[in-house]
Amino acid sequence: MKAHLELQGITKQYGEKKAVDGLDLKIPKGCIYGIIGPNGAGKTTTIRMIMNIIVPDSGTVLFDGNPVDNEFKNRVGYLPEERGLYKKMTLKEVILYMGRLKEASAKDINANMDIWLTRMKLIEYKDKKVEELSKGMQQKLQFITTLIHDPEIIILDELFSGLDPLNIELIKNVVLDLKKQGRTILFSTHVMEQAEKLCEYICMINGGKKVLDGPLSDVKSQYGTNSIHLEIDGDGSFLHTITGIESVTEYTNYYELTVSDSVQTNDILKTIVDKVKVKRFERIEPSLYNIFIRLAGGEEALKVDASAGEGGIR
Amino acid sequence: MNKFLTIFKSEYSQVVKKKSFIVGIILTPLFMIAISILPAYFASRDVAKSTTYSIVDLDGRDLSDRIVESLKRYKLESDSTIESYNLKEIYRLSANESDSLKELRFYLDSLIQNKALSRYLVVFPNAELTDSVLMVSKSMSFKTVGRYNRRISDILTEKRLENSDISMGIDTVLNMTRRIDVIEESPGGKSKDFMTTYFGALIFVFIIFGSVMGFGQILMRSVIEEKNSRVMEVLMSSVTPFQLMMGKVLGLGAANLTQVGVWALLGAGLFFMRGSVDISSQVAGIIFNPVIIVFFVLFMVVAYIMYSTLFALIGSICSTDKEAQNFIFPITMTLMAPVFLMMYIVQQPDSLVTTILSFIPVLTPTMMMARINLAGPDSFAFSDPIILEAFIGLFVAIIFCIGLIWLTSKIFRMGILMYGKRATLPEIMKWVRYK
Repeated sequence: MKAHLELQGITKQYGEKKAVDGLDLKIPKGCIYGIIGPNGAGKTTTIRMIMNIIVPDSGTVLFDGNPVDNEFKNRVGYLPEERGLYKKMTLKEVILYMGRLKEASAKDINANMDIWLTRMKLIEYKDKKVEELSKGMQQKLQFITTLIHDPEIIILDELFSGLDPLNIELIKNVVLDLKKQGRTILFSTHVMEQAEKLCEYICMINGGKKVLDGPLSDVKSQYGTNSIHLEIDGDGSFLHTITGIESVTEYTNYYELTVSDSVQTNDILKTIVDKVKVKRFERIEPSLYNIFIRLAGGEEALKVDASAGEGGIR
Repeated sequence: MNKFLTIFKSEYSQVVKKKSFIVGIILTPLFMIAISILPAYFASRDVAKSTTYSIVDLDGRDLSDRIVESLKRYKLESDSTIESYNLKEIYRLSANESDSLKELRFYLDSLIQNKALSRYLVVFPNAELTDSVLMVSKSMSFKTVGRYNRRISDILTEKRLENSDISMGIDTVLNMTRRIDVIEESPGGKSKDFMTTYFGALIFVFIIFGSVMGFGQILMRSVIEEKNSRVMEVLMSSVTPFQLMMGKVLGLGAANLTQVGVWALLGAGLFFMRGSVDISSQVAGIIFNPVIIVFFVLFMVVAYIMYSTLFALIGSICSTDKEAQNFIFPITMTLMAPVFLMMYIVQQPDSLVTTILSFIPVLTPTMMMARINLAGPDSFAFSDPIILEAFIGLFVAIIFCIGLIWLTSKIFRMGILMYGKRATLPEIMKWVRYK
């Protein structure tokens, strides 16, 4: 795998705490690469080091084999998790200013501006002030400012937070189009379902260290096919008492079970059928969410706190 | 460089396009004229054209009549702008009628309260020996009191001379004992008086103070706002902290210079039309001294860069305006130091204390400006100690600025990415050491 963007053992320490600890990553050209991890895992610090906003204590970030410098900033579009725009400027002014800061020519920016504004359904607000937009609209505007200079690499931190399904669909399609055009997209999130739907490669970091890395399909098969998707009518609180079930993750409408290799799944099904009405029982690849919990919280977290309702809704 | 220019232009145009900028251009000079010239103008001017007075005479001789005569002459001797003093009544009492005196004074006090009378004098018995004449009034105009002092002193002297055995004519003696005001000049033969020197020096300090505080705080707020709105994160993915900081400092500096430039043009216009506008040539001579103007521009630019860098530093370590306000007070005090010390500086422009103070970099621009104004140099010759000191001061201040910019850039790059809480001193020290 030839890396477009490569992180070599980058480390950043704040006081006693190592925010990022010897992280290695290889991001191939033209893919959607997911960086996942719990809050405070070091995702934002990693991205800031890629962007050369902060300098690593040790290690290097290479772009096409060369260390990143300030010129590299012009070739990246970065949508930070914490968004913000100049409220008093008009949409036109903001887009132009952000584009100019990436050293794109005013001519190119103006040529692209209307196309993007139309696509994001913001064209009639072009001369309005940013503060007049709704929050969702401001998000879309921010997305435009990220892309206006036609970047080769696009870094999207928590892209979909605060968007309604219509806008999520709109923006997701743009992201997929960008990938088709051969852009490299770095997608950072703690919402596993999004990463699972969009990303071809996944890297999971926790406590500043990489705990998992590779193509999504490899990652999943690495964690085996001993996961079971179960939908039942009634209370499933007895599930974890069944011999051979290692863990139970409860979602709103279904359960995800992890079973030990030594056990026949048919035996488990029989036990369940005796107690409740089964609507669906399917052997599946483990969800990223499940892997995430196992790695980030350890097996203990999965066993003790199996009621992962919130994540299930997302 | 491109990015710096983009920020520079954006910061400049954002400020210059604001209505407050235009209003500031017009109002600030008016305000400065108001605070620096008007009080002196009113103090030196007669408050009323004509006031009334009464005399309570306990002496019983002709002292009161002489005072009345003397005050009448005032109108004739002086030009017409001076107020005239009109006698209302002379009350003659004997010295032992203390109850009537009490009553009379009570009555006269009430007249003054009701504005029916401006003032009254009480001439005590044998006033020329006891030196006791009392004046009761609500208004304490320096000029009026001065005139009464002079007139009454002369009359009492006259009386004393009459009682002595000097053979010369009384008028001759009075003429020989007259007092004069010394004419003040600075080295080089330029005439000046205290008021013009004092306020001339203050005007420049005020302009530096006003523009540095004004634009410095705009800069500080814009940094805080960019932190709060999280624009900072986006900006940092495009530019370096140093580019951002310098773009802001110099962009707003250009706006500042634009404003001062407009004032300079207004001032030049005023100078050339001074025939039709009533400015004393002394004030004009101090303000429009080319040597002073050159130093003023240099020191203003240095003061602006120094303090706006400080404001950028404050903005970067604070997350709300309120937190930042704590830092404004010491900065205000530092910039205003020459104003508080002006009375001393005017009297001791070259003392050791003044000289040392004017070489403390944060004080240099305003202190040196005040001192240069007092010295009023004619040329840039280094043989004039103030010119040499001013250039050394400028050099010291520039070195200090460079150090400050270096230090601030170290703190700024970390501070701007820290949201929600103010940085502590140990944290800031650590940032300086980060590579």
